[in-house]
Amino acid sequence: MADLIFDPDAHGELFSAYLDGQLTPAEVVVVSELLDGDEDAIKEFLALRHVRTSLRLLPEFEVPAALLPDGHLGDRLSAYLDGELVTLEHRRVTKHLVDCSDCRAELQELDGARIAVRSLPGVDTTMTGEIAATPAPPRRRRIVAGGIGAAAAAALLVGLAVGGSGDPVFVLDDLATHHIARASAEPGFAVLPAAIELAAP
Amino acid sequence: MTDELAPTWEEVAHRHGRKIYNFAYRLTGNPDDAADLVQEVLLRVRKGLPSYQPGSFDGWLWRITRNAFLDGIRKKKRRPESALPEGDHHSLGSSPSPDEVLSSIRLSDDVQSALLKLPYEFREAVVLCDVVGLAYDEIAEATDVPVGTVRSRIHRGRKLLRGMLTWPI
Repeated sequence: MADLIFDPDAHGELFSAYLDGQLTPAEVVVVSELLDGDEDAIKEFLALRHVRTSLRLLPEFEVPAALLPDGHLGDRLSAYLDGELVTLEHRRVTKHLVDCSDCRAELQELDGARIAVRSLPGVDTTMTGEIAATPAPPRRRRIVAGGIGAAAAAALLVGLAVGGSGDPVFVLDDLATHHIARASAEPGFAVLPAAIELAAP
Repeated sequence: MTDELAPTWEEVAHRHGRKIYNFAYRLTGNPDDAADLVQEVLLRVRKGLPSYQPGSFDGWLWRITRNAFLDGIRKKKRRPESALPEGDHHSLGSSPSPDEVLSSIRLSDDVQSALLKLPYEFREAVVLCDVVGLAYDEIAEATDVPVGTVRSRIHRGRKLLRGMLTWPI
């Protein structure tokens, strides 16, 4: 290989791929031979490395935050209705449902949700207005079983479906507290899965 | 990256949204086009995830991204335009020191302008490699061409850029 002659057209591509770590071991040997004292080859190699480095140092733009919503719930909706989400995840889903009409609609389409929602007693339709007027309290600790949270969110859905309008600002903790107190005493929640019942304090 | 399980739509948005945005930004030089692409890709990802088969997630995602980008171009039927600024390019050393990094940032507008002058196939390959950071086989999967073609396009794109920017070494 000592008399290997550098040809920019034939070998330049090897240099690019070498810089990217995409060569076979045999090709790496060829590149090493070419760069061993051949000034033209070294010049070509360095030039390509400059280009590559400059491209990789291009500043990365931040994607506008508005383009990255919290996402939608997909198959987590079923787990949510089945009371299979742990408390933290459950709260995330509940929060998302408050904000996302798409997921609320999807939730309502699930058969299990229909059964639960239809069985719920009526909810005070002025609730949304009351909550909207409630200032956000400071963050505080809340000890609630996940299943009860599911019941609270289901009740929330009914409230939104019946009386929701505009863009009310919900305070999740207060909302949950209201509904937990109400839901735990109401017979409609008996249709919820046993896991939720068992989770109740 | 090869995932055993498909991520959620939300995870895709947060893990890859920025790269998708930068991919489109560097291909078009236009932040509005980049934002449009992010929205379109995430919509397609959300629809496609239920049928996603575990495998090369990056290949899958970037094929969606690339197709969405091309569809967007076809819809708009326009090409990005940008003049290539005149000279005054700073020299870069052979390895990036802090000063060289700063120089490179000053050069970024020039590099962007030069990128936009590349034929699309070369620009796409270079951006997927050097901006997004995909391996050649992932680019091949995303763009539906053989790995050898990817290698050739990346090199030819860089070589054209070198000629446009005429950096002294």
